Amino acid sequence: MNRAHFMAQLRDGLSGLHHTDINDILRDYESHFADGLADGRSEDEVAAALGEPSRLARELRAEAGFRRWEENRNAGNFVGVVLALLGLATIDFIILLPLLCIMAAIFFGLSVACLGLVVGGSFLLFNLLWGGVMGNAAMQLLISLGLISGAIGGGALLLLLMDVIAKLLIRYARLHFRLFDTANKSI
Amino acid sequence: MTESLQIQLKKGVLEMCVLALLSKGDNYAYDIASRMAEAVGMGEGTIYPLMRRMQNDGLVSTYLQESGSGPPRKYYKLTKSGANALKSQVSEWLVFETAVRKILGDVT
Repeated sequence: MNRAHFMAQLRDGLSGLHHTDINDILRDYESHFADGLADGRSEDEVAAALGEPSRLARELRAEAGFRRWEENRNAGNFVGVVLALLGLATIDFIILLPLLCIMAAIFFGLSVACLGLVVGGSFLLFNLLWGGVMGNAAMQLLISLGLISGAIGGGALLLLLMDVIAKLLIRYARLHFRLFDTANKSI
Repeated sequence: MTESLQIQLKKGVLEMCVLALLSKGDNYAYDIASRMAEAVGMGEGTIYPLMRRMQNDGLVSTYLQESGSGPPRKYYKLTKSGANALKSQVSEWLVFETAVRKILGDVT
């Protein structure tokens, strides 16, 4: 495989990433080729030593997905972490998949419950403000504030838990990066 | 069997080795990769995912420096937390190595 072929495959494998990330990564490998050639090696030799570009692309994509999660913990980036793990396509991960689905369902349920508490609490609060007291006004105020703060606390806990789980998944995935090319006899 | 044990061992110490190389001076990826490939048989291409991860973790930082030929080169530099990580990994490694050596002492 020559330089152009390697770079094209790498670029294909990286598609979907942010273009600044892609350019950054491609520049790394371009300069690797330049250094290798200056070192007296052929393009084919450098490409062979680098390893399979599609596999490298999968690991780089996964790493970029993890970084986005660490920078900004939102639902979209959590999905990104999970997709990146899927991209690594290790067999154990397929075994892990049903577990992940169940976890995702539980998280979804809990988030909906939190939302429900906020809505319920707000309803009671508005109800109170507009004079529709049901029973004791002070009691109603306490209940509504209790519901809302409970939901906020629960939501924060949920986020914290999600962070812990994402960290575990990321660590797990990194163990599965095939850092050594077993096909390559250099080991 | 032996081969897979070797791979697992090498994976575990890869980061420590790169940190150790950088503790001797800032360096660029090609040079790190060729040293690691020569020393422990790491696939050269994997240096980039590894360096990216270490950068994400704040263990190394990068800067550009003009090179004699071609475009400026990206150099990696050990950060303070990278130096701390190296210190703790080396001490862990030494404890582990001593323990294994003690057990193997009877065998060899």
